[in-house]
Amino acid sequence: MAFISAGYNPDKPMEGRISDIGPRKFDEFYPPVIARNKGKWLYHEIVEPGILMHKAESGEEVYTVRCGGARLVSVTHVREICDIADKFSGGFVRFTTRNNIEFMVESKDEALKLKAELNSRKFAAGSHKFPVGGTGAGITNIVHTQGWVHCHTPATDASGTVKVVMDEVFAEFGAHNMPAPLRISMACCLNMCGAVHCSDIAILGYHRKPPLIDHEYLDNLCEIPLAVAACPTGAIRPSKTEINGKTVNSVAIKNERCMFCGNCYTMCPSLPLSDKEGDGLVIMAGGKISNRISNPKFSKVVVAFIPNEPPRWPTLAKVVRQIVDAYAKDARKYERLGDWAERIGWERFFEKCDLEFTEHLIDDFRDPAYYTWRQTTNFKW
Amino acid sequence: MAKHKTPLLDQLESGPWPSFVSDIKQEAEHRHANPDGIEYQIPVDVCDDLLGLLEMSYEDGETHWKHGGIVGVFGYGGGVIGRYCDQPQKFPGVAHFHTVRVAQPAGKYYSTEYLRKLMDLWDFRGSGLTNMHGATGDLVWLGTTTPQLEEIFWTLTHDLNTDLGGSGSNLRTPASCLGQSRCEYACYDTQSLNYAMTLEYQDELHRPAFPYKFKFKFDGCPNGCVASIARSDFSVIGTWKDDIKIDHDAVMGYVKGEFAPNAGAHSGRDWGKFDIEKEVVALCPTGCMSWDGSKLSIDNKECYRCMHCINTMPRALHIGDERGASIFVGAKAPILDGAQMGSLLVPFVPVEDPYDEVKEVVENLWDWWMEEGKNRERIGETIRRMSFQKMLEVTGIKADPRHVQEPRTNPYIFWKEEDVTGGWERDINEFRKRHQR
Amino acid sequence: MAIDMSTAKQQVVDFCNSKSKTKFYFNDFLKVFPDEKARDVKKVLTALVQEEVLEFWSSGSTTMYGLKGAGKQAHSEGED
Repeated sequence: MAFISAGYNPDKPMEGRISDIGPRKFDEFYPPVIARNKGKWLYHEIVEPGILMHKAESGEEVYTVRCGGARLVSVTHVREICDIADKFSGGFVRFTTRNNIEFMVESKDEALKLKAELNSRKFAAGSHKFPVGGTGAGITNIVHTQGWVHCHTPATDASGTVKVVMDEVFAEFGAHNMPAPLRISMACCLNMCGAVHCSDIAILGYHRKPPLIDHEYLDNLCEIPLAVAACPTGAIRPSKTEINGKTVNSVAIKNERCMFCGNCYTMCPSLPLSDKEGDGLVIMAGGKISNRISNPKFSKVVVAFIPNEPPRWPTLAKVVRQIVDAYAKDARKYERLGDWAERIGWERFFEKCDLEFTEHLIDDFRDPAYYTWRQTTNFKW
Repeated sequence: MAKHKTPLLDQLESGPWPSFVSDIKQEAEHRHANPDGIEYQIPVDVCDDLLGLLEMSYEDGETHWKHGGIVGVFGYGGGVIGRYCDQPQKFPGVAHFHTVRVAQPAGKYYSTEYLRKLMDLWDFRGSGLTNMHGATGDLVWLGTTTPQLEEIFWTLTHDLNTDLGGSGSNLRTPASCLGQSRCEYACYDTQSLNYAMTLEYQDELHRPAFPYKFKFKFDGCPNGCVASIARSDFSVIGTWKDDIKIDHDAVMGYVKGEFAPNAGAHSGRDWGKFDIEKEVVALCPTGCMSWDGSKLSIDNKECYRCMHCINTMPRALHIGDERGASIFVGAKAPILDGAQMGSLLVPFVPVEDPYDEVKEVVENLWDWWMEEGKNRERIGETIRRMSFQKMLEVTGIKADPRHVQEPRTNPYIFWKEEDVTGGWERDINEFRKRHQR
Repeated sequence: MAIDMSTAKQQVVDFCNSKSKTKFYFNDFLKVFPDEKARDVKKVLTALVQEEVLEFWSSGSTTMYGLKGAGKQAHSEGED
């Protein structure tokens, strides 16, 4: 493994340096039919789950075959996507915001062939590589974060929980049998680098124990003022403590003020907060982004805690299934999950989803809490 | 033969949904077989060690990654995130496993030629594992060592004409929906605005000078497919001012059942015959539509463009022609004061190259936030702390009833001295002439 | 900006040396130059980064500035 330089000279970092050029320009990568008809699309139709047809003023049609995939993909997998695109869609491919893959072709025949091809490809152990679906009133791919694969503050794994939930709702991914689109998202801690706060169903990793303090090493590994400043609730202060008869500089944490965000651990590796028993999942529901019919809205906490149960998180899968089934059975056509819950009332939501309402679900965090309590006689038995 | 036993992760290879475990294993095998004779620049068994470390997390229920760091490419304060594992002896392949964020083309279209070159570079100098794409929109490359960072950047900029994305207290990599390239709802060219803003603000993207992160997202219409109103500090959502265009023949097509409603989105269930009265007119949130049995009418002045009727009958109804966008400011995830959505600042802005009207709003906001924002305070929090009125003042925008859902329910107005006739300076002796002590 | 670049650079370095911590938010430097615009202060910091006097530290979500090589973390990861 000899080091091979691309041309960079560490002694003269500015020599030959190119910077601030930004991304490649988007229109270099338009399939020809897209380039010809941009801005002149008339309407679209979902031919069948996973296949969209867009019709242009020119009369031309583009058929898009959409398939799902893990967000975490290898170069080998991406090269396979390229092989498929070279064979079927003129060497062009597109990714969606929700980690789906789209191939665009110019006839329905080609689209159907491509769909069959994509659905036939499997990993060695049997899971699909490119399941076609993710359109219309169904459940599309889950947007998510890194989790245990690559993050320092997660309270759970992202790829694993997503795999489990998508396995559970796989039939709904490839079908149009929901009352309206149902969007699931996943973030592995409350920092939510994947902002999940406006999703029909949100899965959120959550810590419940304040950080441990590694007094013996803290002053060697961390800058105490930075650890103190990192805490959003001001729960950390500098302190001295005795270790093996020696007084050392460290910090003290007011545990009751900790909101379990992990920001201190980001600045100071001597304040770890991951914990097998403490960490788990929060389920939120009823949020949306679209302005259609009703305004965008936040997701609400409907399950305060589900323990981490790797590798298959059975309780998580079961809770998602309960919510999806109750919604699918009871909601009206075009009604998003949150609109359904508001129409029937949240007291009815818990009943229909067979979820227990606990005191944790009553807001007590700062100002907005009051506005979520009930100030009316209009409630149901 | 796998380097580490992974009995827990192996259970994630079953089930129909694509298994990331199977894919990482596939990549591990590929690296060992090395059919193309690549001189891998980071350990060959990096994928094995990642699986081993992840298996350990699955056993422990705890992460094994640590904090960020100083790594990055020279002169940039973003684009690379340092990552170190806390079991480097057991898993040396991932001891140093830094993330690289690569700027994606707006709308995420690729030619396979370009995509293959990107993959070749990451195969050669990194773990061969990616995210297509990260939550903000970048291509995310998971795991390489420090000496590779400048080399990757060199090849990206010299050979692939591609830059790094944003991270840290920077402008983050902007993202847009695919817009007019393949959508009849797009009210402006989202990809073009995205590209123009990305190029204009390269300095803000690479060199941190903000209190915290700042995200741009560009949605072409109120359906909001890139979630800009929830996920971006500065959200631009396409809209229009004139009338929805109606093709009355096509409306009849839907009524007669010739076309599937909502473009066929509900095809998996029998919802009964399409009922325009119930499914369109009655669901219109403003009640601005009517159907007399043969003709659909819209009182456009009362429409607030929620998209429901257009989504339901895309062949018959089309967005208006006087197009532009609304700008919403301040969305963020929950830390610290709870989640926020973007609040409407500019009801209508024309969106035309060179986009000066949009840029002016951004720059006014930045100047204010850079001066007044506290460390790690998103602009949405600055607005809450300093008031919506202050944001109107710094952007020179006049208050408008569209700015609020409803007027305030308390009368505690912080009047300014200049707003009050005669000012606040008064003479107590004059007062005493009228009132005894 | 009102003061010249080399004086400003020295002030930044002096400020960093005067504190017990080694990493600073951008805003911390605005207090060193109360009369200057944030964009002008940024130019000073950018120049110091180019000259390899300052370097960035990033958690991924936030970025800080510090004197090159200062602090405890780089050493602990063998990255210095």
